[in-house]
Amino acid sequence: MNCCLCDQVLRFAPSWRGIFLYEPPELLCQPCRNEFSKITGQGCKYCGKEGEAVCRDCHYWEEHGYRGLIHSGKSLYRYNDAMKDWFHQYKFLKDVLLAQVFAKDLREALANERALIVPIPLNAEKLRERSFSQVDELLLAAGIPYSHLLEKCGETLGEKTREERMATKQLFRLNERVVPKQLVLVDDLYTTGTTMRQAAKTLQEAGAESIRILTLIRA
Amino acid sequence: MQAIEAFLTGRIWIKPFIPFPKEVIQEAIEKGSARVVSGISADGQCARCLETSPDYVIPFQCATCGEVCRYCRTCIKMGRISSCTELVLWTSPALPKSAPRAFGWAGSLTPQQANASQAISDSIRKQEDHLLYAVCGAGKTEILFSPIHEALQKGLRICVAAPRTDVILELSPRFKQAFPDANVHTLYGDSPEQAGYGEIILATTHQLYRFQEAFDLLFVDEADAFPYSLDPSLERAVKKAAKPSAPVVYISATPSKTLRKQIAGHSTIFRRYHGAPLPVPTYRSMWNYERHIQKGKIPAPLKDWIEDKLQKKQPFLLFFPSIQLIEQASPLLHKIDCAIAAVHSKDPQRKEKVMQLRDGGLSGLATSTILERGITIPHLQVAVIGADHCVFDRAALIQIAGRVGRSAEDPTGDVIFFHNGITRQMDAAREEILFYNKLGKA
Repeated sequence: MNCCLCDQVLRFAPSWRGIFLYEPPELLCQPCRNEFSKITGQGCKYCGKEGEAVCRDCHYWEEHGYRGLIHSGKSLYRYNDAMKDWFHQYKFLKDVLLAQVFAKDLREALANERALIVPIPLNAEKLRERSFSQVDELLLAAGIPYSHLLEKCGETLGEKTREERMATKQLFRLNERVVPKQLVLVDDLYTTGTTMRQAAKTLQEAGAESIRILTLIRA
Repeated sequence: MQAIEAFLTGRIWIKPFIPFPKEVIQEAIEKGSARVVSGISADGQCARCLETSPDYVIPFQCATCGEVCRYCRTCIKMGRISSCTELVLWTSPALPKSAPRAFGWAGSLTPQQANASQAISDSIRKQEDHLLYAVCGAGKTEILFSPIHEALQKGLRICVAAPRTDVILELSPRFKQAFPDANVHTLYGDSPEQAGYGEIILATTHQLYRFQEAFDLLFVDEADAFPYSLDPSLERAVKKAAKPSAPVVYISATPSKTLRKQIAGHSTIFRRYHGAPLPVPTYRSMWNYERHIQKGKIPAPLKDWIEDKLQKKQPFLLFFPSIQLIEQASPLLHKIDCAIAAVHSKDPQRKEKVMQLRDGGLSGLATSTILERGITIPHLQVAVIGADHCVFDRAALIQIAGRVGRSAEDPTGDVIFFHNGITRQMDAAREEILFYNKLGKA
């Protein structure tokens, strides 16, 4: 097996852990793995961005009618060059295998989660075009059970400017399932927080009381 | 010839990406001029790059067709193809039309070049593979012109493939000048779309994935790594792009033993076009160079060498074994002279920096092995820092030495291997250069 990002031959590194416990085979070489940068320490309580206790984006939402909507949140990785490359290859070149790269991180972050895990969906047409849902595949790779409560309406945020994004109105509607009181929304990339706020609002109106969020990457 | 036929002949293309209206494509398929194949065959082979390894052909739950599909990771950068992707192949054959064609190259060949050129033409006529084994700076491109012109007049479709984009871009204007009435296409990653039926196709080896049984004659430049190349998919690409009976001409300055044994028709040129011998590498020990550089000091032998070249105003290249070491050495080199820059494979300004070195804007460049091939700078001097490192094998060292003394007005120059102990690869490279010079004289 070669590294799934740089295609160098993977060197097998024996470890005591590996002898006694089953370890899933490594997909990346160490230099590629080291390029990714984890978000550590305290950051924004809503999205996990490093720096202030409430970041600029989240401050905006709190001031503009979304106060208290999201209880708390976290992001796992910074959006550095390596992450941009990974994201491009995964989402736009549609390299589904790359969902495995962060399986361990997501498993650690969500393994003991009691609340229902709700991925942000794609709209049906986009899903058919892409052939997979990038958030679902991340959770599947991590072995985390999840349940879809939302459906995406027509619009996508991809090509919008920051202002257009933040002014977007209705992005999601509910499917028929029952909305529990506690849930965790999961998405791949947090840019301005519009997606998460919209999804959370829809779910809150349907009866959710405590909504937390988890994103793999904070841009 | 219809526009769609001109485009699709010899190609294998993802159906939605064919630059023609859907109806036109559909009509061609219904008439039987084109056929549709599945992106990944039932037994798990990619139809475009012929990958079969389950490490690269990956199953997944596909939301497009609702079934378990497989997709190929080997050629994913050219647009992913999976089991439910439709690829279109043109099936009606293009008939070769022989006609006299213009020849815009009026240079002359040395007797050795002329012999090689003749031998290649003979092999092509007999439809046999050929190996052109010629040292760096032998004038390989000129040797090919006459056989290509001959093939063009017979109406054959010709491809010249090289591993790197730089080489293809350099060949392109020369070919357009040599064959003024031929439609020459230049293909590399992100190359612009080119109209009509390409009679001569200059392409990076990767682009060959997109052809199938297209060429009557194929030239593979820098074929050193054949046939056991690091990337076996490229060898498959060459086989697939050529018609079954098409002769392949391999060109290399450092062919592997296997390639030399495998191919019956050889021609060799051990002398540069200007007739002067190849510069022979010299050795200089430089113990613990890595530690010195890490501690922030350029080792004295290297420093002396650089200062000597600066004083003589000769441009130079410093080859380093790793990007990491370049980064450590770069500020130190900058202290010696601020016109020494560093370049590596991930550097977007690579081309500009090489141009600056050629124009005298830079006095020297620290580089990784990426510049080992294809660059020609008059009066260039070369040093390898850590020639004992495993990235510098025989072929790489010969190529590096081959950068020096390429122009006729100054056919000499320094090739110096700074080392931490002499390796067999260094000796093999040096012996081979001496051997070329001995044979070249005869």
